Amino acid sequence: MKEVKKILLVDDDIDILEQNKLMLEAEGFEVFLATNTAEGIRKFEEVLPDAVVLDLMMDQYDSGFILSHKIKRSEHGKKIPVFMITSVANVTGFKFDASTDDEREWLDVEEILNKPVQVPELIAKIKAFYGKAH
Amino acid sequence: MSEINYGAAKILLIDDEDHLRNGVKRILELEGYNVDTAENGTEGIRKGVNGDFDVILIDLKMPDIGGIEVLRELRLQKPYSICYIATAFASYETAVEATKLGAEGYILKPFTSDELIHDINKGIQKRHLILESERLRKEREESLLELAFERSRLKAIINSLADGVIVINKNEEVVYFNPAALRLLNIHTLILKEKIRGKVSAEISGLMNEVAEEKVDSEKPRSIQLEIKPRGELYVEVSCTPVAGFDSMISGMVLVLKDVTQFKQLEQVKSQFVSMVSHELKSPIAATLGFLDIILNPNLNISKEQEEDFLKRSANRLRTLLIMVNDLLDISRIELNSVKREVVRVELASSIKDCIDFLGNDAAQKNIQIKNGIEFDRYFILADKAEVERVFTNIISNGVKYNKAGGELNIAARIDGSYIRLDFADTGIGMQKEEKEKLFSEFFRAKNEFTRGINGTGLGLSIVKKTMAHYNGKILVESEYGHGTTFSLFFPVEEKI
Repeated sequence: MKEVKKILLVDDDIDILEQNKLMLEAEGFEVFLATNTAEGIRKFEEVLPDAVVLDLMMDQYDSGFILSHKIKRSEHGKKIPVFMITSVANVTGFKFDASTDDEREWLDVEEILNKPVQVPELIAKIKAFYGKAH
Repeated sequence: MSEINYGAAKILLIDDEDHLRNGVKRILELEGYNVDTAENGTEGIRKGVNGDFDVILIDLKMPDIGGIEVLRELRLQKPYSICYIATAFASYETAVEATKLGAEGYILKPFTSDELIHDINKGIQKRHLILESERLRKEREESLLELAFERSRLKAIINSLADGVIVINKNEEVVYFNPAALRLLNIHTLILKEKIRGKVSAEISGLMNEVAEEKVDSEKPRSIQLEIKPRGELYVEVSCTPVAGFDSMISGMVLVLKDVTQFKQLEQVKSQFVSMVSHELKSPIAATLGFLDIILNPNLNISKEQEEDFLKRSANRLRTLLIMVNDLLDISRIELNSVKREVVRVELASSIKDCIDFLGNDAAQKNIQIKNGIEFDRYFILADKAEVERVFTNIISNGVKYNKAGGELNIAARIDGSYIRLDFADTGIGMQKEEKEKLFSEFFRAKNEFTRGINGTGLGLSIVKKTMAHYNGKILVESEYGHGTTFSLFFPVEEKI
């Protein structure tokens, strides 16, 4: 199994970013941070992370969609899991998930996770992704 | 039909022979008739036309105008008076002519009083019948006219209704509809007797089923709301009411369609606002909780300095949260118009100076020069001092926060039309066009490479705008991305200050 080390976190809330960084580092990950779409893309290309966790609402309400699309179109992006974090479902009751083919077509991420992200759950999901036939 | 009162009948005798005229008059008066006479044709026509006689007896041979001429004239002008021609010189031709002209009959001289009275009574009967049928005809005509009028009025009312109306019979065929119904169903045509089911959506069909299954005596309308045109362009509330027939079976239904797009849009704006507020309130709470969880987690080894940093940041987030809650309350107070204001004369230059002093520390930290170029004791407005100073503080604070280190903020005042105009020109980071458009909406904060680390609730300018509107003023903004922004506040010039 591939050794998963580098994780890119994208969120416009710097406090949340640093909290997640701290907890992931405690688990032995190397964590990279970005606070907007442009920085997210730049860090992604620079670091080529093993997983990306991004917030849906950043500079724009749909920043996360744009960023995930860009990442998933890239060569490297196809090989890694991308997780989207959102509180949309909690706030609006509007639910979407990436488990059906239909939604996967426009929502090109591995999974939608509720905010705030639970770090142990996140780690388990990353490990599960690489535990499959990848 | 009313009873005939023969006695009250009005009779006119036209005859040039005095003795005959007077004799007949006497006989008829003895019978109780109301009798008038004319001694020649001319007088006969005049009296016959002016009075309203039931029966007129016309002598055929008169010196001035012949009886046939008199008959012709009277028939023309008084078609409901019954005329008899009386003569001794009966001939077939005159009889035919008189009948053609509408004489009721021919009375041959000499006649007995019985014969005369018999004919006259027949005439009165005829006259009575004619009048009665005429009355009925008029009555019917009037009521038809009224009905037609009522119908067209009703039609005009229904057709001009903004709400759509469709009436269907028990076979679900359209029997009535107005133009609004077509618009609200987004269909081009509807034909009378057309089956409604083919023209309406499954939801409306379902609604009709529900109504059909219900007991009719409830006659309660049921309604649903539908999106008729996509993307929220047209929402319609459809109400369906059953119409009970004689046998208390449904004899039809009335569908009323109401455009509820505006309500829906308001609802959407409201729910968007609520979700935005929740999102904005949640973020600082989540961040604070996150820090506390880390500090309290025994498995994470964090340093004393880190812990202090996290606590400070938590406090900051909570402080922002508190400001945000206060701002939200202020917005709702302004919107509900429940702000308590103490309106006084406010001198602008010194008011602005106080605001600049208040923000002195922030400006000094970024080395920003704020220049108050407003002439003292020249510009005055009537306002709640604290409220307008809050507006100034907001604008000046933006000019500091979104400025470049070492930048400037120049404040000036002048009269512009019927307004006192205050310009706040900064040499800051400016705004992009799309940022400018959203500037005054709640929770909008410009987010780009320059604005990182700038705190705010995203409610300040929303409050400013609402406050300016309260004072019948306005706010304008000019901006060039990367170079600076100018906010202009306009207060109406007060006549008596």
